[in-house]
Amino acid sequence: MSDHSPFEPPKPEFFDYKHVGGRLLGLVGTAILAFVIILGSAVYFSASGNEAGVKQFAYSYLFAFAFFLTICMGGLFWTLVHHAVDAEWSVVVRRQLENLASLLPVMAVLFIPLIFVAPHLWQWLQEKNAHDPLLLEKKAYLNPWFFWFRAFFYFLFFTVSGGLLRAYSIAQDKDGNPRYTVLNRRVTFSSALLFAVCLTFAAIDWLMGLDYHWFSTMWGVYIFAGTALSSMCVLVLIVTGLRATGYLKDVVTIEHYHIMGKLMLAFTIFWAYIGFSQYMLIWYSNIPEETVYFVRRNTGTWWYGSQFMVIGHFFIPFLFLLLNRTKKTPFVLCGMAVWLLAMHMLDLYIVVMPALHKTGFSADSVFYDVFCLLAVGCTLAAVFIKRLGESSLFPVRDPRLPQSIALKN
Amino acid sequence: MDVAGNASARVYGIAAEFDSAAALYQAAEKLRDSGYTRFDVFSPFPIHGMDQAMGMGRSILGKIIFFGGLTGFLTAVSLEFIPSSFLYPLIVAGKPTNLYTVPAFFPIMFELTVLFSAFTTVIGMLILNGLPRLNHPMFNWERFKKFSDDKFFCVIEARDPKYSESGVREILKSLGGQHITVVHED
Repeated sequence: MSDHSPFEPPKPEFFDYKHVGGRLLGLVGTAILAFVIILGSAVYFSASGNEAGVKQFAYSYLFAFAFFLTICMGGLFWTLVHHAVDAEWSVVVRRQLENLASLLPVMAVLFIPLIFVAPHLWQWLQEKNAHDPLLLEKKAYLNPWFFWFRAFFYFLFFTVSGGLLRAYSIAQDKDGNPRYTVLNRRVTFSSALLFAVCLTFAAIDWLMGLDYHWFSTMWGVYIFAGTALSSMCVLVLIVTGLRATGYLKDVVTIEHYHIMGKLMLAFTIFWAYIGFSQYMLIWYSNIPEETVYFVRRNTGTWWYGSQFMVIGHFFIPFLFLLLNRTKKTPFVLCGMAVWLLAMHMLDLYIVVMPALHKTGFSADSVFYDVFCLLAVGCTLAAVFIKRLGESSLFPVRDPRLPQSIALKN
Repeated sequence: MDVAGNASARVYGIAAEFDSAAALYQAAEKLRDSGYTRFDVFSPFPIHGMDQAMGMGRSILGKIIFFGGLTGFLTAVSLEFIPSSFLYPLIVAGKPTNLYTVPAFFPIMFELTVLFSAFTTVIGMLILNGLPRLNHPMFNWERFKKFSDDKFFCVIEARDPKYSESGVREILKSLGGQHITVVHED
């Protein structure tokens, strides 16, 4: 209010690939090498009849895939939220969320290896289970045609919705036509419900389907809680990385960090709330076909992981993020984001891996876990860096940009 | 200079009227920069950034709420564990009361934490704002009624360490304040 000078629009900032330079080649090289190692060894195990090896690859790959898929879906989620509520604060960081969502078509390609090992992961696909009475009851949903069609539909939706939102946003950079904001709002309102449906059923198909006898009505929202939280953490890291490289200096302020920190706190609480609600309803009613999930995850060494998540995924970040200073110090907030991402990784590890190693953590899986994370992660990182340079690092002609830059909490 | 209220009562402060929110905002910034701490502003609507313009620090309400929430949490813990673990242990749904059955207690711990936090927030906010109160010395001034219509007011209180009648009048005048008036307490 004290500043009455007319708003001068900031100049668009374009990411210069010289900041990554040879490291991009390193990323691509690592991704290719990791893929050659995991796919090569999986094919070798498959040819030599080593079923345990193929299984280990399948579960480790699904774990890595699910970890990065949740982050990318979160990018789409926050973009949708931005348009649905006409948010002001997130204008300056929206392009990075759109870039994250634009990785979803890559996830569709990375899904291909899972097709070949599908019967190892989702055992209802195996011939020997075809006459299981519990499966026959679920036949309307759990049948191969519908299953693959759903997978195709999820990725089609993610690609179209995320692609349109990003394309309109970039088109607005050129002429600043507010019509694109309205168009994006239309895309959002036709996508919002479908996004919830796709995320929920993708979580059910690929993660809950690891044990087709088991079911939980809170599963979709449980995975969603981790999705929204992990993508917000990644956003904090991306924005801080860009600022450290010299971009977004006059655009993103401490006030934006404050809001991102508040959302991290909110979704830390939300994750705990959903995780506990799911646990308590199953624990209290004590029905064997429901408790099997938690019994397995409290067996052997998995018990330590599950217990540690209560402290590490909730109490530690909750108490730290309550403090104003954590949210307003980018360095500390980044530390919290890395911690929460590690916890999200542990969360998904405990979702996926006990389905294979039923008695506890197995050191056999570490080799595949690391290389699958490297393969998927480096591929996505390389594509993301490519996306960074394709457009201005923030929506430079968005009608709400001035309000977003002048944000006050 | 005008006088409002009973001239034999104590002086509450010296007030001035402003025409726009921007003028009031700038006045608040200047008063803050010249070292006044005990002054207040009144406007028909909230003005963004006024807290900083007046040089107000962060409210301690958040810290009070933390302890309110903690009290609620500990209340729940004692209300649950003392009766059902010590005074009258009962086995419900085949689940004895020990540390492994603590999940059944979590919802109540959560609810009481939230409930006590909410009470602390509302009551603490009222107390910190000096509410509820029956009257305010500013209402002694007839013109002040327009604060809920289209005028903006600023008052420098007599308890301000820098307060002096001539000094305050000078600065309010230099900031563009009109109808500068001494307001008495009743």
